[in-house]
Amino acid sequence: MKADKEKRRMISRDAARRRRRVESEVFAELSRLLPLQQSVQDHLDKPSVIRLTLSYIRMHTLLKGITGKKAEASHAVKCEQVMESGEEWRGCDRGRDDEEKKTDDVEASEETNMFLRILEGFLIVLSTEGDMIYLSDNVSKYMGLTQTELMGHNIFEFTHPCDHEEIRNNLRLTAEVWCGAKRDFVMRIKGALTHRGRSSNLKSATWKVLHCQGRAKVCVAPSSVSCLLLTCQPLPLSHTLLSTHTFTSQHSMDMRFTYCDQRITLLLGYSTEELLGRSIYDLCHTLDTNCLTKNHLNLCLKSQSVSGQYRMLVRGGGYVWVESHSAVIPSVRPSKSRPGAHQPLCILCVTYVLSGVEEPSLQLSLDQTVHRYLR
Amino acid sequence: MSAGGSDGTADRPADLAADGECPEQAGSSLPAAELPRKRKGDVEERSGTHGQQSVDFQMDDDLSRSEGEDQQVKMKCFREPHRQIEKRRRDKMNTLIDELAAMIPACQPMARKLDKLTVLRKAVQHLKALKVGTGSAFTDTTSKPSILSHDDLKHLLLRAVDGFLLVVSCDRAKILFISESVSKILNLSRLELTGQSLFDFIHPKDINKVKEQLSSSEYPRQCLIDAATGVQVQVDAPARPPLLSTGARRSFFCRLKHSRVVGKQDKHFLPCTSKKKDSSRYCTLHCTGYMRSCPSSQLDSECDGEMESSDLSCLVTVCRLLTPVSHQPPKELTIRPSEFVTRWAIDGKFTFVEQQATTIIGYLPQEVLGTSCYEYFHQDDLLHLADKHRQVLRSKEKIETRCYKFKTKYGSYVSLQSQWFSFTNPWTKEVEFIVSSNQVISRGPGHTKDEEAGNSKALQEDTKQIPIIPGLSSGLGTMIYAGSIGTQIANELMDSYRMNSSPSSGACSPFGPAQEKCPVVSPLTSTSASSREEASGSSSQSQCDSRTAAGASSATSESLAAVSRININPIQGETSQLDLDLVPGLSSFSSDEAAMAVIMSLLETDVNMGQSGDFEDLHWPF
Repeated sequence: MKADKEKRRMISRDAARRRRRVESEVFAELSRLLPLQQSVQDHLDKPSVIRLTLSYIRMHTLLKGITGKKAEASHAVKCEQVMESGEEWRGCDRGRDDEEKKTDDVEASEETNMFLRILEGFLIVLSTEGDMIYLSDNVSKYMGLTQTELMGHNIFEFTHPCDHEEIRNNLRLTAEVWCGAKRDFVMRIKGALTHRGRSSNLKSATWKVLHCQGRAKVCVAPSSVSCLLLTCQPLPLSHTLLSTHTFTSQHSMDMRFTYCDQRITLLLGYSTEELLGRSIYDLCHTLDTNCLTKNHLNLCLKSQSVSGQYRMLVRGGGYVWVESHSAVIPSVRPSKSRPGAHQPLCILCVTYVLSGVEEPSLQLSLDQTVHRYLR
Repeated sequence: MSAGGSDGTADRPADLAADGECPEQAGSSLPAAELPRKRKGDVEERSGTHGQQSVDFQMDDDLSRSEGEDQQVKMKCFREPHRQIEKRRRDKMNTLIDELAAMIPACQPMARKLDKLTVLRKAVQHLKALKVGTGSAFTDTTSKPSILSHDDLKHLLLRAVDGFLLVVSCDRAKILFISESVSKILNLSRLELTGQSLFDFIHPKDINKVKEQLSSSEYPRQCLIDAATGVQVQVDAPARPPLLSTGARRSFFCRLKHSRVVGKQDKHFLPCTSKKKDSSRYCTLHCTGYMRSCPSSQLDSECDGEMESSDLSCLVTVCRLLTPVSHQPPKELTIRPSEFVTRWAIDGKFTFVEQQATTIIGYLPQEVLGTSCYEYFHQDDLLHLADKHRQVLRSKEKIETRCYKFKTKYGSYVSLQSQWFSFTNPWTKEVEFIVSSNQVISRGPGHTKDEEAGNSKALQEDTKQIPIIPGLSSGLGTMIYAGSIGTQIANELMDSYRMNSSPSSGACSPFGPAQEKCPVVSPLTSTSASSREEASGSSSQSQCDSRTAAGASSATSESLAAVSRININPIQGETSQLDLDLVPGLSSFSSDEAAMAVIMSLLETDVNMGQSGDFEDLHWPF
């Protein structure tokens, strides 16, 4: 009896071993089919193999929707011919040989590399559930984690909990996707990089503020491939200010001016003294209140923000379009009694003037009229 | 992170357990006593080519490997958390397999759920089929394999970014290179633009600005903002590779012409030669990039005339179209001159009046600015409007008034209906002003002189009656001046603020010790009967509180300890008042969350500061 049981157990063990072996072989085969470097392929664990396979398939479907349309529009017939002959179907608008395709690819590669480098950001493709289907490989420069480590994972694992709701709102595809569906928001992401740019591990990760811009792309079938295409750029803290069309200002946390450089006088007519203590909301066009509020909130919560375009009223009449890049920093003040004390925070803004003065004779706000009389 | 960390494609315990559960596998319920070998961790035996993989947790030393199909054994020997870890892994793997099956066409029409191995096999077939369609990018062993071909990446970038790559020479702004995507943005082809001078396409008022950006020499004077002091600092170009040194960074906005019709050049485009008034359309672009020196050999033959073979400097930038202004008034407001927006201080005095108001109320903005809106309200409406005024100062929502009469310059009345919305400073949580969006309901009897006379007579009769407005002091026989109504309502609000905040109010650092003045740590909970709390209606959410706490727990424990020293109490404060439609996701924050978040982000915010190296000596408060 016992021997019988033992025998059965052995059979089942062998069967299980065989199944596992087969499974491992299939996994290995799958990982070899992924377009990755061999060294990377060999080190993938099973969940990662599936994740990357999923990404690959999803990207393929997505791109078919993007590039396929282009091919259809201009060279449908030619495409069919090329496909029949078994050549590469993408970019098949001309019947080209391998050499030409290679140079095109090299050119495209140079251009995209240059583009991403100058943009100082990485590309991310997010599913409506928040899965990071694809990230451009320079993501490692910003997050300290490689493309293959991140692809297939969910963005909510890497972003600040307080930003999740905002991210979710952006992921949602509403009816307006059919008319452009642009996205523009700021979020905090974990960055496993040290101050010197070396990779550290995720346990000592710090929050990095990213400005995400892009659009939603809707796929009808399969709809699960609908996604968000975004570029993510860390917001810089240093600005090169050569232009006479920028000015810097410092504000207390409620957005009242505490300092302003004198360039504002040339651009907007106010003297730096009269601005101290004034709220920025008073200086701007009422219809832009929401834009400023969003900017202010981003600053309070995430410590950095880009405002988008809004109107600043010019002393004496009219307004200019501007955009502000701001950050919260500890304001350094000479501390009398306690040198090691906490430092109050302040907001630092660099404002770029985008337009000339529009409607110069128009006086919309109280501030503009008062100054008129005082002149 | 599951990639890396172990050699080869080691299986996780989850899979073993999964195997154990499959009905076709036997041996899932062997009694514990008969297990010949115990295991050292959940390790899978591979086909002999790889060694054993070790796993995270440590088991007793006398446990060694087994074949792993004994659920009960596991239950006996392993600790409870391990079972959960296993289950999680199993579930995760199953989810992944399901997702994979959903993406593979061959797996779609199946009625029953496919088993793991079949799904994997179909995935292999699918990938092979996809590769047949792709070309040398993948089979070419010399080029570095990547998930996407560069062409594909280019297309994705084109979709995501409304922008193009631009290289211009610094001396004459000649366009040396411009990427194809420019056609999407300016409706001009690459060919038309390459070789032209950029100045021909820039808005005349921006030419000087761009010249300034281009004209700097190789080692220009740089003004960086020192984040520590907020002061502009002059630095020399840092010693970094000249190609993309931080010192050579450029960032500016400019307006470029764009053609109305795709592919066709607007006749307005002819630069300089046309005597017509320039009525081109412009779009605003944000250009960021670097100065770079390019050897003149790279430039095209047009500069053969320049004898120098010295390096020319050029600017390489990405030009990105600015997100269209989404908060502009909807088209109806501009087309129909029957709506206008105004802004008043909390006491009802106009501080901002939109231009189109003039066509409706007759006054120019400067004529009403500074006066109280109550001076224009009809007697009959004073009560209802004062009530709404009081309401809006205490509400986060838009308040809609009933139809009311507004006195125009000519003495007649126009019927308006308005939506009022109070703006609260996100930091101080105090109402700073009220935005009023006003629609014309009817223009009333008209503005002719005859009617004016008739109206003013009616007005005189009306003023004999003094309306009683609850809450406002009015002695017998005193005339209530319209303006004072607003002031009084505002004072009520200011008083409630003063009552609720600590003795000395004023915005200041949330880092202050508890006894310092700080609106953030205002003891709202202690004055439990504060009108502010009552009025705020719905409570602020502590969802973000707990989420912030969760976020905090992943931060270092020192920072947590530091934060707790500050003694920020979760309070039911007012949430910020926003137009929720326009600020998705930012619907409920209380001041302590804001403070907490600022602290957290400062403690944890990384390398944006560190990258340029100017800020390394920043002394953090903790």
